[in-house]
Amino acid sequence: MVADAYDAVIIGAGADGPVVAWKLAEAGLSVLLLEAGPFHGNKQWPKPHEEPGAEASSSVDDLSGELLDEQFTTREFEMVNNLLFGPADYKRGFWMRKFPGDGAILQCAGVGGTTLHYTGCHPRAYPAAIDEQGHWPISYADLIPYYQELEAVCDVTPAPVTAKEELFFRGAAAAGWDLIDEANVTRPGYRPQPNAIRPPDAMLHVDAGYDGDYSAADLTGHTLGVCDISGNPHPRGAPFEEKAKRASNISFVPLGLRTGNLTIRPNAFVTDIKTKPASGGRPIATGVTFRDTWSGDVESVAADVTVLAAGAIETPRLWLNSGLPTNEWVGRGLTIHYGDNVMGLWTAADLERTIGQGTVDQFQGQDIAARFDYPGLGMLQTVGTTPGIGAILGFGASAAGFAFQHDTTGEPWDTTGRLAGRQLKELLAGYRRMLQVLVVSDDHPHRRNGVTVRRGIADEHGPIPLVNYRPSQADRVRRDKLARIAAKILRAGGATHIHRSDSPPTALHLHSTMRMGKVVDDGCEAYDVGRLFVADHSVLANGLGGPNPTLTGQAVAARSAAQIQERYFT
Amino acid sequence: MIQQLFVDRLGRYLYEKGRLLGRYVRGGRTIHTIVTFRAAVDAVIPRTPDLAAELGPEHVPGGLEIGLAEYLISYVNHGFQLGLPQLGPRGTVALARPVATLLDAAALKLILRGDHTSPPSSTYVWPLISEDDSSPVPFLRAAGPFARLHPEDRLRAVGIIDEIDVEISRSEDELFEFNGGLVGQLVVGFAKLIYYCEWQGYEDYELPQSARKFTEDPGSIQGWAQTGYPGVANGYPALRGYLGTEDGPLGAGEIWTTVDDDPDRPAYIREEPGQFRENDYDTSDFEEVVPEETR
Ligand SMILES: Cc1cc2nc3c(=O)[nH]c(=O)nc-3n(C[C@H](O)[C@H](O)[C@H](O)COP(=O)(O)OP(=O)(O)OC[C@H]3O[C@@H](n4cnc5c(N)ncnc54)[C@H](O)[C@@H]3O)c2cc1C
Repeated sequence: MVADAYDAVIIGAGADGPVVAWKLAEAGLSVLLLEAGPFHGNKQWPKPHEEPGAEASSSVDDLSGELLDEQFTTREFEMVNNLLFGPADYKRGFWMRKFPGDGAILQCAGVGGTTLHYTGCHPRAYPAAIDEQGHWPISYADLIPYYQELEAVCDVTPAPVTAKEELFFRGAAAAGWDLIDEANVTRPGYRPQPNAIRPPDAMLHVDAGYDGDYSAADLTGHTLGVCDISGNPHPRGAPFEEKAKRASNISFVPLGLRTGNLTIRPNAFVTDIKTKPASGGRPIATGVTFRDTWSGDVESVAADVTVLAAGAIETPRLWLNSGLPTNEWVGRGLTIHYGDNVMGLWTAADLERTIGQGTVDQFQGQDIAARFDYPGLGMLQTVGTTPGIGAILGFGASAAGFAFQHDTTGEPWDTTGRLAGRQLKELLAGYRRMLQVLVVSDDHPHRRNGVTVRRGIADEHGPIPLVNYRPSQADRVRRDKLARIAAKILRAGGATHIHRSDSPPTALHLHSTMRMGKVVDDGCEAYDVGRLFVADHSVLANGLGGPNPTLTGQAVAARSAAQIQERYFT
Repeated sequence: MIQQLFVDRLGRYLYEKGRLLGRYVRGGRTIHTIVTFRAAVDAVIPRTPDLAAELGPEHVPGGLEIGLAEYLISYVNHGFQLGLPQLGPRGTVALARPVATLLDAAALKLILRGDHTSPPSSTYVWPLISEDDSSPVPFLRAAGPFARLHPEDRLRAVGIIDEIDVEISRSEDELFEFNGGLVGQLVVGFAKLIYYCEWQGYEDYELPQSARKFTEDPGSIQGWAQTGYPGVANGYPALRGYLGTEDGPLGAGEIWTTVDDDPDRPAYIREEPGQFRENDYDTSDFEEVVPEETR
């Protein structure tokens, strides 16, 4: 049951909210974690998309690996529909937000948030992005102890090599780049992904002759079938906490529940942050109002400290809809790692020569296990996808019109743009011989980019987020340089056809809409509202230089949890 | 400018006409919506008889053969909600009809600009009608400018759609604007996702997950057969090892192969996993590769 008052209430159980929840609960505070989406793999909600289930969960014994196995089928379409940002009820559509152009925002709802989709890549930020770009009020050195602690909690290790990674590394080496073996990256080069995924069992070595069922009865760790984006509950049969992919529901949620001080209430959409006037004219937060997404019932809860962790779109939306004091940076400065896709296609004979087999088989291995870093530009990462997601990511959406409309003479790619018709089918017939590289660029925070709301354009939870994003000329140049490097790596690795999708702004990584130093102070408490903290990727002062943001988001959240205790609970 | 105004008016007119065409309704969908979505699907994932010789007979059928257009309509109609009572019990915005209307508006714009390559014709509508349809007449009658375009011109029309702003009226005094780009995302992006994913393998996807039956035969899913994807698996014995050098911390043990034969510092794939080195870092000489000069 949910009580009327807590020491701390946290809004959103995504990547970062559970970190704060765990830290505060471990310190002995009573904590309520409210989440808009469902709770998968929990005995209180045996059919989380079909029936409302119970109200809340406060016990680690509620967690069930068996239920997670049943609910996470890893079939991509079913999983995308279950996980994307929308209400638990399968009969209802996604929650709407406006995004300009033909781009898209990918975020999830549910305990675990967008880490339900994420591929477990946990690199640190580039030190120069924190210390030299002038956006951050704290230093890289401040983050290191938190990085180290969380890397241990999330089992971060260099990712394993399967055929697709070997192909990429060979290309990168042949293109003249060096191998990086350092955790704090200051120069360009290639390396395995530092992944928050338990390494595969040695039994799965290509020479070991394994032919079992890949269940927990046989082995531990990642089972080397691409399905991290589709929720990856492997190994099947493993208890909830022993699943290989350390998404925040697997890593931090059980730690929090185990303290006995944490209650998690899913299907609870927060619509208002309550404040009261305080001395000095700066109001203080006193709790929240939320709405049950099944029944529509509205409830309120009081808290000594309120923590916004609803993600880089919903956190500013909630701030604006709650009528909190505005500041010219609330909702502004959005960075999305303005990205692109470059795909290589090989002939069977060429593959046979380079990797000893005639196919890449991108559906094997961890989804994203090889990377290329370039502080000042961003990063590249290989991505193995199942065909549906692969088609939409690589060829589906494009700002550049259709491929048949483009001349690519003199470019390092053979085709560019949206693919359709015969050309699409012909290329995808080579699915087993292709590898996609995601371009992830270091776009900078610009005030015009971000989230606004307008009265009247609303849904059941108030005005919806209107998201604007237009990269600067320099952002475009960085992305273009990276795309060219990607094409050269694939070509050096022997690809015979290269396709650049020239994607529209598609946001998988969203940050810096409530920036540290602009909207929140260096302990992540709001300048304009006391006892209100922000602990999600929106506080990141820039895009970290390009590396996948979750480890840093979680490190900052862990640091903020320490600040909350120091400021209000000592 | 005047042309723009004309096209906008026409768009509105077509939208109204779309409502009138509600007379020809099949399961809540107008024939106009159906033929327009089939036209889009057929342009994105067509039937390709000429791929048989090159790649094999399994590469011939396209999206229409598996009923993709009809499902896409249903997905687009149920997929997005505002949760508002005036929009029906679930507050879902049924987007298929406005999307179809918009595709027609884009087709007209293309034709007015003279950017199409073949004259619109009912010849292009015929392949959109299947033997299961009771009569071709309502389809030929309902087909708008988009369905009458050559498939490649339909793609050109989708390509210019970003320029059109959609206005979906929610009530008399409120406007809900959407950039037309969403349309391309829906009829091109989602069409591909649904075609190449596992959707065709369900007996009935509209059932709740716990009641859905999924095929035992992954090869029967057309998109999978055409890509060679073997279907969902519990895992693969695909481990080659861990990237590492002789003296570095990343990997250790027996060498599987060399990926970088740089004589100074060769890189191997080795047997055992390692870890990243906690290194000192110095960022004082960092310079922006592309300084932020312009906004
Ligand atoms: C396909 C994909 C792959 C990715 N892979 C990686 C990767 O490998 N490495 C990496 O670092 N990043 C990855 N990311 C990005 C990463 O998942 C996100 O950056 C991260 O999850 C963001 O964390 P967050 O806490 O800010 O927000 P989220 O994780 O999005 O969490 C926000 C939570 O708040 C809830 N919420 C929102 N509004 C409300 C409200 N009003 N009331 C209650 N609850 C609310 C949401 O339902 C959600 O659960 C990936 C993203 C995608 C889409």
